[in-house]
Amino acid sequence: MNPRGDSTSGSDGAPEPRRKSKKPKYSRFTQQELPACKPLLTPAIVVTTFAFIGIIFIPIGLLSLSASEQVVEIVYQYDTDCIPEQLQNDKVAFIQSSKTNKTCTRTLTVPKNMEGPVHIYYELDNFYQNHRRYVKSRSDKQLRSKASETVTTNCAPEATTSDGSVIVPCGLIAWSLFNDTYSFAVNSKIIEVNKKNIAWQSDKEHKFGSDVYPKNFQMGGLIGGAKLNASIPLSEQEDLIVWMRTAALPRFRKLYGRIETNLAANEQITVTIQNNYNTYSFEGKKNLVLSTTSWIGGKNDFLGTAYLTVGSLCLFLAIGFIILYLLKPRTLGDPSYLSWNRNPDGHY
Amino acid sequence: MQISDAHEMVKLEKDPNAAFALIIDGKTLTYALEDDLKNKFLSLAVNCASVICCRVSPKQKALVVTRLVKEGTGKTTLAIGDGANDVGMIQEADIGVGISGVEGMQAVMASDFSISQFRFLERLLVVHGHWCYKRIAQMICYFFYKNIAFGLTIFYFEAYTGFSGQSVYDDWYMLLFNVILTSLPVISLGVFEQDVSSEVCLQFPALYQQGPRNLFFDWYRIFGWMGNGLYSSIVIYFLSILIFYNQAFRANGQTADMAAVGTSMFTCIVWTVNLQIVLTMSHFTWIQHLFVWGSIATWYLFLIAYGMCSPVISGNAYRILSEALGPAPIYWAATLLATLSCNLPYLVYIAFQRALNPLDHHVIQEIKYYRKDVEDQHMWKRERSKARQRTKIGFTARVDAKIRQLKRKLQKKVSSLSIQTQP
Repeated sequence: MNPRGDSTSGSDGAPEPRRKSKKPKYSRFTQQELPACKPLLTPAIVVTTFAFIGIIFIPIGLLSLSASEQVVEIVYQYDTDCIPEQLQNDKVAFIQSSKTNKTCTRTLTVPKNMEGPVHIYYELDNFYQNHRRYVKSRSDKQLRSKASETVTTNCAPEATTSDGSVIVPCGLIAWSLFNDTYSFAVNSKIIEVNKKNIAWQSDKEHKFGSDVYPKNFQMGGLIGGAKLNASIPLSEQEDLIVWMRTAALPRFRKLYGRIETNLAANEQITVTIQNNYNTYSFEGKKNLVLSTTSWIGGKNDFLGTAYLTVGSLCLFLAIGFIILYLLKPRTLGDPSYLSWNRNPDGHY
Repeated sequence: MQISDAHEMVKLEKDPNAAFALIIDGKTLTYALEDDLKNKFLSLAVNCASVICCRVSPKQKALVVTRLVKEGTGKTTLAIGDGANDVGMIQEADIGVGISGVEGMQAVMASDFSISQFRFLERLLVVHGHWCYKRIAQMICYFFYKNIAFGLTIFYFEAYTGFSGQSVYDDWYMLLFNVILTSLPVISLGVFEQDVSSEVCLQFPALYQQGPRNLFFDWYRIFGWMGNGLYSSIVIYFLSILIFYNQAFRANGQTADMAAVGTSMFTCIVWTVNLQIVLTMSHFTWIQHLFVWGSIATWYLFLIAYGMCSPVISGNAYRILSEALGPAPIYWAATLLATLSCNLPYLVYIAFQRALNPLDHHVIQEIKYYRKDVEDQHMWKRERSKARQRTKIGFTARVDAKIRQLKRKLQKKVSSLSIQTQP
């Protein structure tokens, strides 16, 4: 049906004036006749898609799983272990007192060959670094440059000292800096821990200024964590930088350092832990983790398992659909499937 | 009394093809519209094939044609008119169509739709009405789906933050989600989507019936889409959390912070939601392609641009794609897995439906795709004629009536001939 209005043109030589046509200008866009591709979901495409997904996913799953299996991990929970027997009843008092001996020496056995670099992490549990008030409590401007030292807008209650001078770095995140330390030895020979380059490069170069030095830090009555060396600029305080990257979940690991050498299987590593950090007030847990990495990162079988599951599910679906199409074939474009042919009494 | 007699006559008529017409003029209509007669008049009128009211005043037009029919039968009414006296009727009806032209613009100004010639009404209903119904239904369902998929992931995260109100996504991500990252594809769906072309709509008026029968916006469909959104949100959230759990995500040993997990989760959502709309659409012009793939590309471009802004603005998202997530294979693997897992159920559903219980427009799409209408013109013509609903009025009805009359005459002749030839 021609949607266009009629236009009349006066005949040649007639005295009748030519009536102006009111027909709107034709364009494919306004008439909705743009060239289009109209793909159809045929059985071939359905089966091919599922089979394709299955064929791609299963190898990826196997690769991920094998990478994760290659990772060697040692996890040691030391928060309850490192408190002497007699003081187990009042852990909070133990950790808060400055007179108790916080050194804790333990032995870890290497289960399999660990190829360097072996990464050292501290893992905290039940510590909500993702709590809103905690996440907000920092001043990015102050961290970047000395000129913005006094910008402490969101940092309360750790913004200024009692006499009004500004705290650098301010805020709860910096105040609660983790301060346990670890040192390692094998056969009484100390293993060196490389604490350089544990933070992201962009953090060190652009987020934490090289002219910003800690000032009035942890001077208040309530000590939340580590003290900072006031002569080292923030851009080199890598522990602080790593800590300031708030974790997503209440159970998280943060990089402490790396051991560049290999660790042989069945080696006995003596680890000396300074158990300073107070997680006892909120029933948090502390773990020490030594882990190698693969191209996919640390040990996590979930990715590989998920890929294998979805891949095999897709293959089953492909086979299922093949069976369906064989058992109940329907020629495409068969007009007997139109509703007026299926219900011939014409009742719509 | 005349009305009751006419009623009896209509009821007694056994021939299903007989068509009655009711003719009434303005003066009589005043009496017929009185409260005691109104309902009888209405039931007589709806039993007739056509009702002609002449010499009616504008007020009666509104009262009869629309208020009586609308409230009496509860059906959706459409009124079409071109003059100032039709304005009341047009406004009273559910859908008012005004014709612009000889008698002026009053009807046009009072109407919901205006066309320039009466014959365009067919195209308005059967082509645009059909398309708009489908488009609006799909658009609304999809909107629910994408916002549920997005919003619920934020909600799940709250359980992991001690319900403190911390969002796993950066503020800018959330702002841009509904503005630029997922809005343009659905707008292109709502404006350009055509399940069948306009010629097919005109040839198969039965497709229009999908609207009145409400096949595409019933509660099953709405809840189905919401369920799809719920499922997608669960899959995306838990896959992201469990993949980026607490171990290192790079060969260099760094662990993922909230910005990395949030960015990865958001990438999965953008991909999933845009791939879902690709599966929903059936008509792809260059505009749809541009909007869909452009939205996904815009997300990555935004990440790069945002990452390049000073850390005072971008905070922990500074260089997140170029430094942290881009080189990490786990990020791309997580995106691929989450996207395809979320879209699998819908794919299974539509494959199933097309195999076992195809809808009319599916079959017609297949006929057009395989060009069976060109190969088998006979079949196409036959289906077209079947698709027209049997009516009691109009040109085709008169032709059918004439044919029936001739057939009856022929049958009588044949039977009388056979009586004669019987020994």
